[in-house]
Parts: sequence; structure tokens; C-alpha cells
Amino acid sequence: MSTEFKFIGKKTPRKDAEAKVTGALKYTYDLEIPGMLIGRIVRSPYAFADIRRIDVSEAMRMGAVVITPSDIPQKPYNPRLVSISEVTFKDTYILTYKPRYLGEPIAAVAASSEELAQKASESIKIEFERVYKPILDPLEAMKPESPRIHEKIMKGDKWIEVNNNIAARLDYDEGDVDRGFEEADVVIERTFKTGKRYHMQLEPKAVLVIPEPSGKLTIYTTTQTIHNTRILISQLFDIPESRINVVRVPIGGSFGSSIQTNYLVPIAVALALKAKKPVKIAYTREEDMLDHSNFVFHFKIKIGARRNGVFTAAEFTNILDVGAHQVQPYPLLGTSLGWFVSMYKWKNIRYRGIAVYTNKVPGCALRGYGAPEVQWAVETLVDEIAEKLGIDPVDLRLNNYVGRGEIFWGQGPTVRSVIRSDGVPELLLKGREIIRWNERGNPREKKGRFRRGIGVGRGFHTSGAGGPISGEVIDYTGCILKLNEDGTLDYITALQDHGGGTLDAHVKIIAEELGIPPELVNIATASTETTPYDVCTHASRGTYVGGECARRAAQIVKQRILEVALRIIDRAVNPEALRISYDEGLKQAIVYVEGTDIKLTLAEIARISWQRNWGTIGAFVSYRATSAPPSFTVYYVEVEVDTWTGIVRPVRVVAGADVGTPINPDMVEGQLHGGFAMAWGMAFTENTVYDPVTGEIMGRGLITDYKIPTAADVPIPEEFTIIIAKTYEPTGPFGAKGLGEAAMNPAVAAILNAVYNAIGIRFYELPVTPDKVIEALEERGELEW
Amino acid sequence: MKVKFTLNGRLVELDVDPRETLINTLRLRLRVKSVKRGCERGECGACTVLVNGNPVTSCILLTIQVNGAEITTVEGLVKDVLFERLAKNFIDSGAVQCGFCTPGVILTAYAGIKQGKIRGSEDVKEYVSNLCRCTGYVKIIEAIAKTVREVLSSEH
Repeated sequence: MSTEFKFIGKKTPRKDAEAKVTGALKYTYDLEIPGMLIGRIVRSPYAFADIRRIDVSEAMRMGAVVITPSDIPQKPYNPRLVSISEVTFKDTYILTYKPRYLGEPIAAVAASSEELAQKASESIKIEFERVYKPILDPLEAMKPESPRIHEKIMKGDKWIEVNNNIAARLDYDEGDVDRGFEEADVVIERTFKTGKRYHMQLEPKAVLVIPEPSGKLTIYTTTQTIHNTRILISQLFDIPESRINVVRVPIGGSFGSSIQTNYLVPIAVALALKAKKPVKIAYTREEDMLDHSNFVFHFKIKIGARRNGVFTAAEFTNILDVGAHQVQPYPLLGTSLGWFVSMYKWKNIRYRGIAVYTNKVPGCALRGYGAPEVQWAVETLVDEIAEKLGIDPVDLRLNNYVGRGEIFWGQGPTVRSVIRSDGVPELLLKGREIIRWNERGNPREKKGRFRRGIGVGRGFHTSGAGGPISGEVIDYTGCILKLNEDGTLDYITALQDHGGGTLDAHVKIIAEELGIPPELVNIATASTETTPYDVCTHASRGTYVGGECARRAAQIVKQRILEVALRIIDRAVNPEALRISYDEGLKQAIVYVEGTDIKLTLAEIARISWQRNWGTIGAFVSYRATSAPPSFTVYYVEVEVDTWTGIVRPVRVVAGADVGTPINPDMVEGQLHGGFAMAWGMAFTENTVYDPVTGEIMGRGLITDYKIPTAADVPIPEEFTIIIAKTYEPTGPFGAKGLGEAAMNPAVAAILNAVYNAIGIRFYELPVTPDKVIEALEERGELEW
Repeated sequence: MKVKFTLNGRLVELDVDPRETLINTLRLRLRVKSVKRGCERGECGACTVLVNGNPVTSCILLTIQVNGAEITTVEGLVKDVLFERLAKNFIDSGAVQCGFCTPGVILTAYAGIKQGKIRGSEDVKEYVSNLCRCTGYVKIIEAIAKTVREVLSSEH
């Protein structure tokens, strides 16, 4: 397909690359404004307590501006706006007298320097009424005798009672599960548990709030969604949206950590409103780890299959440890189910999803929103069933996966659409050959200190949360595209680029539609007051949803260009008589009439239109996708296990992606490389461990104790093969789908299936640290020295 | 305390608190914003600068410790041939994503190549310990290894 494109599918340098390599690009933390104060947050030293009194007198004497819960609107909120109001659960307060995790904000100060602010924050004395024993295990939390972490929370605009610390529930039944298991020849049931991972985006969260002379508030912050940030601040402080402007600032990675409005934003707003001065807050790395980490998943999964390799039933219990507050675990109960049912044709399904409060850092989305966890568990079980049945694991997958023509509902029961593009067979079969699957051997025959194994994992992610009907999830975007007086264009969107090159993809889509080189399209600075609403850069929707919106805007602009050209040419019968295309020699678009010498460049058209007072050619588009197609990914991984140390090393990786048309092929590769590295961390190292007595993160949030992969942990480029499937998604811009999350989702399963193939041991609790490997080998009594 | 050093070839004389870290001197006093604050524990490498040509994390170095030293940040390398090569290869290879780690990674690679410690992909894995969460390092390794090949072939 790609051969017919002028720009799409070709490598082009990203527009911000120069500013990034020279260090000139400014992130939120780099911003400063004369007269700004620096804010610091006073946090709870206890994981679960009641506060009697907060003494701020010393801080006031030092000249600091101080806020405590009494200065703050005491209305509960949910920092992430994505579900419709009726199913949004609200339990968080900007500052609280009842901290529910160690590190929860209690008070805040602002002063003229960071040093003074720190001193003032340390001078604040908190007197505690009662300190409770923290509840860290969700199974413990659900017991009737456990104290209640929350008593009343809001669901939409109604107060609801919380019982047994259950934050939200979602059940689903389809078919007759019990009969399905009776009909099965093989039934396997396993429990799985994941680590509480931290995003470890390179840029710690920051915010700068400026009260303008006009009375408006300008906010710069690390966010994936400027519009939802504005709506939330508007709701919390009762300020009209038109009096708040949130500006899009480059962000140093995110991976879901700013899918919600980070806690420091409303705190900085409250400080700025009280001080009537600009206030900046920037987290230290340790504070950043107290702001966000992932949910912990406790799965119990049972699968039944017939001897011929056809599934008969599946039962899935999902106990979600959400931490102390809800950052939208309810939709996660839906997506967990959605990822599960969209993996294979189970036929009969029973799902019980329970989100449970504990006294830990509130869990939020982390790349995949449950998909890496669900796909790890499912792909482990599918491997086990294949082995029991004596069927090749790749064939079992090919015969049972949910593919073209079937219903995909990754984003939960209310977001369903039909699968129209499907590269799974191509990826599974090509990958099998490249990795030399048939030579992988039997773990029982492998001996010696270093043992190698090959594993496969198959999965997907959605592209956005659109659909033919409006469900419980909000998903639409918007953009403005205008032709300037010299033939260049300004592209204006609220959509954030986390670093994956999303906006560069949009530019190429616009360029392709109009036949102009990408250099002529400017990515304009953007803020909430200059852009139509966009929900968020999440759910791998940037290219698929935002890109299609950009294409539609370009299509409108193209039509107007042809109308103006018609007026200039004056001899053509109607706009359809005109053609627009890229002229390689002129390096710009030309409008012409076929078979004649009539020819106008876009620059000429723009200039004439301006000189003759015909007005601006432009488009304003608000767009909701009517589909949320899955981007399929397949990983084949070869690992080497050192049976003396328990350390695992990647040997070779074959990563396959069905992204439809790849807009930026180098960025597609980059997503897969990054996805694999993140999966490696999830598999082997990443977890925030809590002290069972105090409820504090062990290692105090220092990243010296939170190991993410380094360059030493990944394969060299020559050992990392990428396959891009030849597919075309009819609902996407020029056939494109998303990738950001699919790039990671099934990789953990492939890695751990490879470990199994090396040493014959399966692990059901992440991360698989070296001590667990050694312990398992010892238990089997076959450690060889 | 009085301290004197050169920053990107220009002499700097300052009176600093002996407890002040180099990253704060660079970012807050001298407005060098390419030096990023990522962890303040010498772990992530986002604040890497070259001290007499060696890559050092400026968050765990006191400013008074660099008295008399030559400090280089990417701002000081914009016209340097090796830096230009590295920058071009980072851009062409797609080794730049969010960009927050990029200046630090490039400085580390610059020193490694200059000192002859990076001669191929495997050396990059050994030498460049800066953290990056976006790229999975593969394209970073590719860009640096490509630069090394160019440097070696231009020497012949």
C-alpha cells in the first residue's frame, strides 16, 4: 500500500528533534516567571490516620503562604475525567485531615525560594488524633472486620456508602460457563499477581500557575490532557472554564502517569489563588513515586478446552488493588474484561471484577491499562493448555484468536466495534520462522548453567475508545487547520505528544492529503482557549483518532483550496475538474487541470486569495471515531537463564506489529523497542514494595531501589527484528491504527514463556526476581553447580 | 565560597554556598536548562555534564568541587563536529522520543567516543548507563554505533 504515498511510511525527522538534542526545548520544570513563588507539599508520615490539629504559625512567621484543608473546597473529586459523570467515583480531597496513604498531601506552602519553602514546610506541626494500622492487602481489606478506609464517597452527584472497602464492582456473564467446563477435556486454573509498578517517566511532575492581571488563571503542567485539567480545576474551584487557560507544554514521557490531573495541580492553584502570585511546584523523584504508580492485579483464571483445541469456557476473577483513592479503577474493571474476552473465543464467560481500597499510593493507568497483565496471564495459560493437549502453541493461538469480522471490545462492555484489519496470521507465521521456533527444544532436555528458551506472546491494544454508539467512556477530539497567506499551514490541536511522535504523524497525514511537504505544516502552540476539546492522549488513540481528525480537516481545506483555485482560473467548469498533487520539483502542492497547461501553486493560490480579500481558508473539526480497532502485536523472544544466579538475559527478539499503515516507520520501531524494555522491567525487576508495618514504600521512593532496564539489559539492534504486517485499517487515516500500548502488551508473556522453555518452570507472580528463579530451581532439586 | 570554573569555554566566577550542587548552580544561577533534574541521586543521568571531558552526574557533585575545572554541556558543543554527528544520527535513527534524557545521553556518548571507550554496540551497553524510558535504548545504541563507525572511517 505504502508505495503510493508521498510522505506516509517514509522516515522524516521529527519537528522537535533539533530542540531536543540541543537541550533547548523547555519542559514545565524549565519554566520560570519573575516574582513566582515555589511551592512545597507537606505529606502524611502515616499511611492511615486522623489529624487533630495543624499548626502553621511558624511557617507564617517565616513569611510563607500556607494552605491547610480548611482553606480548600472540601468536595471529593476523581483526578481523571474519562467516564461519564454517572459512573465517576469521587473520593479524593485536595488536602485532607484523614490521610489514607503515606505521603498524602495535608498542607502546602509557597515562598520566594525553594529553600525557604522547604524550611517553612518542615516547620509545620501536625498533631494526630489516631494512627491506624495500614491495610495493604486487598484480600485483607475486604474482610468485614477490617476498618473502612473510606466510609462515604460520591458516585456522580450521589453519596454512596463503601462496604468492605470495595471501591467498585463489575460483573459479566455470557453463555453457560458450568456446562462449558463440563464439556471440556482439559481445565486449568491459576492465580496470578503483578507488581505495583511505577511509571518512571524521566520528567518528574511539575506545574506553574499564573494568576493573570485580567483575573484569569494560566496553567502550565505535565499533562496528557489540557482540557480535562481545565474542566477539573473549573469544577473544584467554581471558576468558569473561560477564566482558566491550560497550555500544552512538552512532556518528558508519561506512560499514563498524567492521564489524570496530578495532585500538585489543584494544590498549586489553591496556593496561587491565596498568594495572588504565580506559584510553581516541582516534585522530587521521591514525591513523584508518591503521586502515581500502577494498580496491583490479583487474577484467578480458569480455562476449559476440548481435546481438539477448541475452548469451551473461561472464568475470570479480577481483584484490583486500587490503593487509597480512585483514579478510575471502574473503567479498568471494564477494560480488564474487555482485553480478556477479546483475546480468544472462550464461548462461555463468567467475570467478577472487584476494585478494593488499600492504604497505598493511588493506582493509575500505566501503558496498557490492564492489558499487559491480562495478556501475560492468558498467554501463560494458553501455552499450558497447548502443552497439555500436545498442540503447537502457535497453532492453538491461530485457531482461537478473535480476528477479522468478529466483535472487539477492548475498552469494556460499552465500547464495541467490528474488526476490519487483522495481521495476526502474518505476524505469527513470519515470526515463527525468523526465531526458528521449531528448534526451541524441550525444557526437560536442557542442561548446564546457561539455558536458552524461546517463547511467544500474542496480544493487542485498542486504538482509542470510540464506537458507533456513545457508551460510558468519553472519546472525541478536535482540531483547527488554516492556510496562511504564503501557502504554509498552521495545525492547532489540544492533543499531547508524549514523545512518540504523534503530532508529527498528524503533520504527515495533512501533508499527504494536501500534497504539500511536511515542512510547510506548523504544529502551533496550543492551549485550552485556542483548541476544540480533546479527551486525552491515551488508549493509543493519538494517531488513529487525532490523525483522522487532522485528515478530515485537511480534506475540508483541500475542497476550499479547489474552490478558490476555480475562482482564479475562471475557465474550469467546477472544482472536480481540478486536481491537487505534490510537485517534486517545486517542493509544494500544485492545482492543475488535466490535459492543459493550467497550473497554480498552493503558494500562489494563498497569496491571491489574501490580496483579493477572499478571506482565510481553514477548517474546524470536532471528531469522534465510530470504531476502536485493535492493533495486534506478536512477540517471539529468546532468553538465556543463568541457573547459578537466577539472572535472565534477552538473546533475540522478533517483534511484530499490525498497525495498519505505518505513518512514521521509525517511530513504530521505537515504540516496539521501548515496549519490550518496559515489559522486561515488568517481568523481572519493577515493583514498589511496602513495609508491612508502616505502609511506607521500602527504599523511600529512591530510584536507586527501583530498577528499570538500562542499555545493558536490551538486545543490540542486530538481534532485534521488527515485522510490520501488511494491513490497512479502513476506518483509520490512510489505513493507520494505534501502537503505543500494543507495543508492550504481549511482550511479558513471550519473555516468561521463553523462561519456561529454558528451565521448565512457570512463575505466576511478578516480578520474577533472581531469588525466585533460584528458589524454584532449588525446590525442584536440580540445581547444577 | 568563591569558585571559578569554565562553562562551555567561558570563565565563571561565583560565590556559592558550599552545600550547593552543581546542577542547581547551572540551572538556577547560570540558566543552563539542558541539564535536566531527574532524580537528584546520581542514578538517572539526565543531569550529566562533562567535567574535564568526563561524564558526571551534576546532581551529586558540589559546585565547589569543580573549582578550576572545565564544564561542558550540550550548549557548548553546538558547533563541535562530533556532537553534530551524534545529534544528526540521533535524529535520523529515531533515537529521540520525549527528549528529556537526550542531552545527558549524548554527552555520555560524546565522552565515550572521544576517549576511545566506545568502539561498537556492545561498548555502548557497557558505557552509557543513562536511563531512558521511551526508546528501549535500541535506536540510541544504533545512533551511537553509527557515529563511531563514521568517526573511525574519517580517521583513516
